[in-house]
Amino acid sequence: MNQGLQGLEISMFYLTLVAYFLSMVLYWVWLGVKSNILGKFATALTIIGFAGNTVVLVARTVIAQRLPLSNGYEFILTFCWGILAVYLFAEFRYKLRALGSFVMPIPFLLLVFIVMKMGPDERVAQAIPPALKSQWLTFHVVTAMLSYGAFAISFGLGLMYLLKTRQGVTNQKDGLISRFPAAEILDDLAYKVIGFALPLLTLVIITGAIWADYAWGTYWSWDPKETWSLITWIIYTGYVHARLMYGWKGKRAAWMAVLGFVAVIFTFFGVNYLLPGLHSYA
Amino acid sequence: MNENPKSWTDKLWYLFSSMKMGLALLGATALTSGIGTILPQTELEPDRAEAVSRIWQVLGFTHVYSTAWFRLLLGLLCVNLLVCSMQRFSGTYNRTFKPRPPQNGNDIPQKLRQEIKGSTENLRLKTEKILRDRGFRLIGEESGESWSFVAQKHHLGYWSAFIVHIAFVILISGAILGMFFGFKGTMMAAAGTTTALKNINLSKGTVTQDFGVKVNSAEDRFLPNGERDNWYTNLSIIENGRETASGTLSVNHPFTYKGVTFYQASFDHGVHLTADVTGQTMPIYLRNQGRPFRFPNTDLYLFIGGMMGSPQQPVILFQIYKAGNSQPIQSGQLSAGESTNVQGQYKVTMEGYAGFTGLQVKKDPGVTVVWLGSGLLLLGLMLSFYWRPLLVSGILEQEGRLTLGMASGKIIGQTETEFGKLLSEIEGTNSKERAGLTTDLELKERVL
Repeated sequence: MNQGLQGLEISMFYLTLVAYFLSMVLYWVWLGVKSNILGKFATALTIIGFAGNTVVLVARTVIAQRLPLSNGYEFILTFCWGILAVYLFAEFRYKLRALGSFVMPIPFLLLVFIVMKMGPDERVAQAIPPALKSQWLTFHVVTAMLSYGAFAISFGLGLMYLLKTRQGVTNQKDGLISRFPAAEILDDLAYKVIGFALPLLTLVIITGAIWADYAWGTYWSWDPKETWSLITWIIYTGYVHARLMYGWKGKRAAWMAVLGFVAVIFTFFGVNYLLPGLHSYA
Repeated sequence: MNENPKSWTDKLWYLFSSMKMGLALLGATALTSGIGTILPQTELEPDRAEAVSRIWQVLGFTHVYSTAWFRLLLGLLCVNLLVCSMQRFSGTYNRTFKPRPPQNGNDIPQKLRQEIKGSTENLRLKTEKILRDRGFRLIGEESGESWSFVAQKHHLGYWSAFIVHIAFVILISGAILGMFFGFKGTMMAAAGTTTALKNINLSKGTVTQDFGVKVNSAEDRFLPNGERDNWYTNLSIIENGRETASGTLSVNHPFTYKGVTFYQASFDHGVHLTADVTGQTMPIYLRNQGRPFRFPNTDLYLFIGGMMGSPQQPVILFQIYKAGNSQPIQSGQLSAGESTNVQGQYKVTMEGYAGFTGLQVKKDPGVTVVWLGSGLLLLGLMLSFYWRPLLVSGILEQEGRLTLGMASGKIIGQTETEFGKLLSEIEGTNSKERAGLTTDLELKERVL
């Protein structure tokens, strides 16, 4: 049965990759040609990709008989799932299709990274070390998935805001930018999304600390991953303070949303591939 | 905030009550801790840390997180947060628990404000009923010819910033408590041996408790599919020669006794032997290819070169070395129960295999405080984003003119919508007809 499931997992992985790629391209084309059919196609492909992503994760859960939260390959797929879940919610709730052009490249590039950089041995379900056998791992990674996913959305919104308010295009009636919602709505939404993601990031750090305390007897050891999650937290805390106390809205807030997500990506990727530490398996 | 500080205490207070200072300290913390992840740290990579330029070492960047200046930075941040919180305490308290109806038009929120005309009696009844129905707590005040009111909802939300800031200070206090009143160390012990807590390898603090830790068993267990299950250690606490507690621990499942926690950190295979000399028997526990054992009063060393066989039929390879010789002077193989004579001085008997358990031992009275701080931090953030306080206040004048305004946290867009809905209800009209206010529908249209 496992072989069949493995085949399903692999084929669904490539289906997801293709669907994310096509939906990204269609979102771009839709911005230019403004055909509603194309927009609907883009959304449909996103949903197909999301479904494929879900099947990959479920198949992996059945094969490994544990949640798919234990190595780089599984984390990336879970991260993509988080981005898509928050994105699809945002697209339907706020009718924000244009956001897809900015968000979809992220899961697509993450999956490309798997294809380019991860060998088959890194992609199969592996035995997990005793330290990873903890229910806190589940809380830790699930909250990270949603939080990082939401930060990806705020990044997309930040980029849209910056493009929308570029000098000379604010009132442009035609062109790509006209598909974007009003600048203040983008700004407001980015704040809301960060308002959702920041408490979750706090929970990611706290659950990680509780888990580390159980596993290693140290709730905080200034491991590079921990330190970078703290730096990310400080950037978004700075965003909230600047906005609430100094009225930092618009461009400066958008830049901070973009910068914050760069820190998220570095925490997720850079730390593992560039710096040493306890999170070597993640 | 004191805008014209005079004395140096005022100046200091003014400096620490500034949020800019807080943000600058947070930024400095982020920057320096980030540098600490890029430069090799002595604790993680001592060799690489030694190799970086001397200036980084002198400034402490090869051990950032334990330097005095990094701790000072966190300390100053705590002082800043405390001063800011104290500064705001009475304001927040009054806003939450002693709201006052507006005395004049200036006290009514300016940004979202509207005037409604109608019958005085009707407007007052409607305003009171609608606000109460919407869950607002309303306080009214008659003053001469007019009636003024203040109504609040989610008023505990005013405390969000206070809670977040104090939580951070509590967190750091927990860490300091652990630093001064706790200890941390490791022990590696074979099944069957007892180690006094005072004899563990300490890396931080001092041990005040006096009890022994007896390792009853240490096992490396595997699942039927061949994957490692976990390392398990069964231990007993020995106090005054009596066993006072016992338990089994494994990775992720520590064991705690009188505030001292034992964590399963590593495991190694080893051997249990006995040595007979002049009729006395002494136990020997040696790790496979680990440190050799020196026979008392001799310059002979026993080294375990390999473990063969199975736990049921154990077989070992041993070597005897003499100080100063790099080659063994005796070697051989022993099965369980077999003995060998060591240079005519000792008789060594192989008893069986013995697991060696590696434990991390820690006492940290600050952990509970850290969890309390973490919980409060989360609570404060949740309040700040999901329990936004709403305030509506207004004055109704005798001639039937109601001026009311709304203020909330900081999200104007959403508050506008809510204010629009409130006005519609009071007026009994459709808010779309009102210029200058945005409705839900309009917001959606703008998004589209």
